[in-house]
Amino acid sequence: MWLRKIIGFLKKDFLLESSYRFSFFFDIFGILINISIYFFIDRLFEQRLVAHLEEFGVNYFSYVILSSAAFSYIGIGMGSFAERIRSEQVQGTLETILVTPTRTAVLVFSLIIWSLFSATLELFMYITLGIFLFKIDLTHLNILSCIITLLLIIISFSSLGIISASFLIVFKRLNPLSWLIGSLEGLLGGVYFPITVLPGWLQFIARFFPITYAIRAIQLAVYKGYHPMQLSRELGFLFLFSILLLPISIFIFWKSLYRSRKTGTLAHY
Amino acid sequence: MRYILEFNKVTKIFYPPFSFKNPLDFLSSQKAILALNNITFQLREGVILAVLGPNGAGKTTLLKIISTLILPDSGTVKIKDLILGKDDLRIKSLIGWVGSSERGFYPRLTGRQNLEFFACLYGLDKKKINLRLQELFKFFKIDYQDKRFDTYSSGMQQKFALMRALLHDPELLLLDEPLKSLDYTTALNLRNFIKEHLVKEKNKTVIFTTHRMEEAVDFADLFMILVKGYLYGLGTLSELRKKVNNPSATLSEIFLKLTQ
Repeated sequence: MWLRKIIGFLKKDFLLESSYRFSFFFDIFGILINISIYFFIDRLFEQRLVAHLEEFGVNYFSYVILSSAAFSYIGIGMGSFAERIRSEQVQGTLETILVTPTRTAVLVFSLIIWSLFSATLELFMYITLGIFLFKIDLTHLNILSCIITLLLIIISFSSLGIISASFLIVFKRLNPLSWLIGSLEGLLGGVYFPITVLPGWLQFIARFFPITYAIRAIQLAVYKGYHPMQLSRELGFLFLFSILLLPISIFIFWKSLYRSRKTGTLAHY
Repeated sequence: MRYILEFNKVTKIFYPPFSFKNPLDFLSSQKAILALNNITFQLREGVILAVLGPNGAGKTTLLKIISTLILPDSGTVKIKDLILGKDDLRIKSLIGWVGSSERGFYPRLTGRQNLEFFACLYGLDKKKINLRLQELFKFFKIDYQDKRFDTYSSGMQQKFALMRALLHDPELLLLDEPLKSLDYTTALNLRNFIKEHLVKEKNKTVIFTTHRMEEAVDFADLFMILVKGYLYGLGTLSELRKKVNNPSATLSEIFLKLTQ
């Protein structure tokens, strides 16, 4: 029965998204613009960045296109829950959903299923455009490592997103820390450049951010073809992060709903 | 006698939210609003209960507590012997809720798409959804199921809200001011549908809130008088007349007498 509910959410969100007819084309256009920017930056700075990218065996363009695609996944995990909760509150549908017999864990997953689906589409668009228009090389791709890495990225970063959504439910404000963490992850996590570019002390700090391991794992899985055992350090860290945070975040979400039911503020925003 | 709903010493107080401007308001009992005070009653199956009271009486809070959207501060609520706060998932499948707001639907989806989505959340499969929707559309005489929801009139939106509450054939129907947006004929048809079909034929129980006495008299079997969270009376019209020692008193006169 839970699967039927998840599919129901997926269908509803698809219908809502497709009711904005041009947004899909604007999304593709945005991705194409991003890719072009990275392509020309690569042409400008290729020689100076090569040393830092030797480990991954690619040029700047190939590196940043993959990191950006992975970062959009991470962004979905981090921000999607709060956005969806706010949107359901504004439409007045949060209460009507919560009076249906739907478990908290199913609700949590259902809220972002469409975002995950569209982020996966975006990832494929980045990769497809990269291959056909800009000739990035995926001959070494290790599919198993990629799938495991993406799954761990979804679980671990979604947990942070669920905590942000809980903050929104209780305080009716977006969690300011999530914005800070999001920005710092972009800077320190190796999304736009490998972390070896950073000074030593920032590299040390970057080690405490899960995104550092996520980006490194996906780069090595895609461009170097590393199998999961070769990525044990990166995947192990992401796994630990996921296993600790997921139950905690669902508990916090459940508690925030409980508190809002106590204060009678579920529909407030 | 089997009760579908039991309230036992239920109290609900709303405290002002914490604000940095006035941090002590949060702790101040003077700023707190008593929504329900020590409410105790039982309701048998197969009746229509009208909850009467002015704005701020606690009517919506009462319905929201039954629908699991608000938790009481103290006391217990049982729905068909299931305890609210412990058996919420099973309770939710027994109740159908229509809120007082006309929001609660996705404006860019059609009426049918909205109902299909909520039917999924009630666990209905595709075949059952189609059958149920066919039944409901026929009964409510909905010809334009595939129009965008935001293009429907208020009355139509109210009909959709009621159809949504009936999707899973609930035992207990909770209606927060259900007739307020409906024209006379639609309201009359709806009242007849609830009275004859849901209550008499199918033995469902209905609780609705209103502050319009004549609407309550036409519609309900039992009346609950609620003012500022206090329960002033509950019973049939003749029971309430006995309570005020006036065998010909109207509901408005009873209301005034009890709450003075």
